Amino acid sequence: MAALTPDAPQISLRGVSKTYPNGTVALREVTLEIPKQDFVFLVGPSGAGKSTLVRLLIREEKATSGIIRVEGQDLSRLKRRHLPFLRRKIGMVFQDFKLLPNLSVFQNVAFALRVTEGALRHLKPKVEEVLSIVGLEGKEDKFPDELSGGEQQRVAIARALVHDPRIFLADEPTGNLDPATSWEIIQLLLQINARGTTVLMATHNREIVDVMRRRVVAIEGGQIVRDEDAGGYHAPALESR
Amino acid sequence: MHRLWNRVDFAFGSAWQNFWRNAAVSIASVLIVWVVLLALGSLLLVLHSLDRIVALEKTKASAISVYLADTTPLSSAMDFKLHLEADPRVSNVTYVSKDQAMARFRDLPALDPSVIDTLGTNPLPASLDVTVKDIRDLGAIDQEVRNSPLVDKSPATNYEPNVIDKIILLARVAGIAGLALIVGLTGLSVFIIMLTIRTAIYLRRKEIEVMKLVGATDWFVRWPFIVEGLLVGVLGAVVAVLIVGFGYRPAVMNLQSVLIFVPLAFDPNYLRIVLAAMLAFGLLLGSVGSYLGVRRFLKQ
Repeated sequence: MAALTPDAPQISLRGVSKTYPNGTVALREVTLEIPKQDFVFLVGPSGAGKSTLVRLLIREEKATSGIIRVEGQDLSRLKRRHLPFLRRKIGMVFQDFKLLPNLSVFQNVAFALRVTEGALRHLKPKVEEVLSIVGLEGKEDKFPDELSGGEQQRVAIARALVHDPRIFLADEPTGNLDPATSWEIIQLLLQINARGTTVLMATHNREIVDVMRRRVVAIEGGQIVRDEDAGGYHAPALESR
Repeated sequence: MHRLWNRVDFAFGSAWQNFWRNAAVSIASVLIVWVVLLALGSLLLVLHSLDRIVALEKTKASAISVYLADTTPLSSAMDFKLHLEADPRVSNVTYVSKDQAMARFRDLPALDPSVIDTLGTNPLPASLDVTVKDIRDLGAIDQEVRNSPLVDKSPATNYEPNVIDKIILLARVAGIAGLALIVGLTGLSVFIIMLTIRTAIYLRRKEIEVMKLVGATDWFVRWPFIVEGLLVGVLGAVVAVLIVGFGYRPAVMNLQSVLIFVPLAFDPNYLRIVLAAMLAFGLLLGSVGSYLGVRRFLKQ
């Protein structure tokens, strides 16, 4: 069912459950392994637990039970002061981009390096490098409100790439974009994946999932109901209906 | 070095922006810090003055002047002096003639000598200034000398047992009242600084979210707000320090011209300590207030 794992999986969940303080059960006994350089679509209806899963992986939330390992590290045992260093290994983008409106494109990307005290001497070349990967050369001095949605998401992707992440998490990255722009973003994520980065993308976008024929993990009611290599958005039985 | 500079630059740059972005709230907290420090500095200086007055009165208080009737011959006065010197409780007796008393009177700084000259005759009595070993024996000696026929009756001595007690009481009341005021204002200022920092955090919530997302450490996120709190403390302190530093000497001069018989003095060494204490307390207010402001928000 799951993809073959030549190495230890880069991300692994064993019997992971998450119950929020208000009693909502978001995940039930989820077990999942994602090897290095995999490209995985995480699909399912709203409220199925996709976002919770993403939040658990960057430990914005802690699992109620079960074991989550990222790069071999048990997240429940990760000390709070080590958390920033986990986040630097994981690039993240969201449906709402989360760009800072008062900073230019260049500054938005550089911000991620500045606040993590990265290699500042190489700040300018690094920012230019990631901006050229996402195809935004020449737009360094624009502000987010001067850009299209697709361009804004590219800035967010560039920002997520400055630390050369080993894992790239995208939570509904095309949720606010039109189909043509969505395809451009997907092409970019494929390109990032081809450079050796594991990509996990939570999405509602049925068309993209169906065309790509990549690994699909479907969640419903907090449980994994399907995990297929080269799958579609819906299970074959449902699609034939 | 490069990283440290980046951290300092980022913290100070953000703090400065925060300060002006919610300028009204920031200035309110600077004002409250200023008021607290002004109260603190004034109280310390007033208590110091009272301390010195008490100390001075205490040395005076171990002595009384026994006024001699003008009719007393010098030989009787000297016998009386010997009699007093023989008393084991007495440490020293000095005879002060009418002329010497007049000369002392003329030396009082606030008196116009020409007024004295119009008196013609010398109204001041000669006296025996008696110093005792233990201040508590003063009352008994006062009672004894009053019965001597050599002693003037109006008044017999300058014994005033309550003066020191009154000054000590005044110092204590001023100290307690001032301390209560400062404690109250300190609580208020820490609270207002905390609110200022919370406001700044609220205005920067998006940036903080991104910072945490891309892997900034907790302290990197906190520092700009701590620096902002310190900035508030320093600004309040600088204004208060300037006012107290430059206002202390004129205030002493003005008071001295009103309170002629009270020995006030300008004490530059003590002033320096007070100003340093004000600055330190300002920094303390700023850091405690901002620490309380940032303490909760980064926890999750």
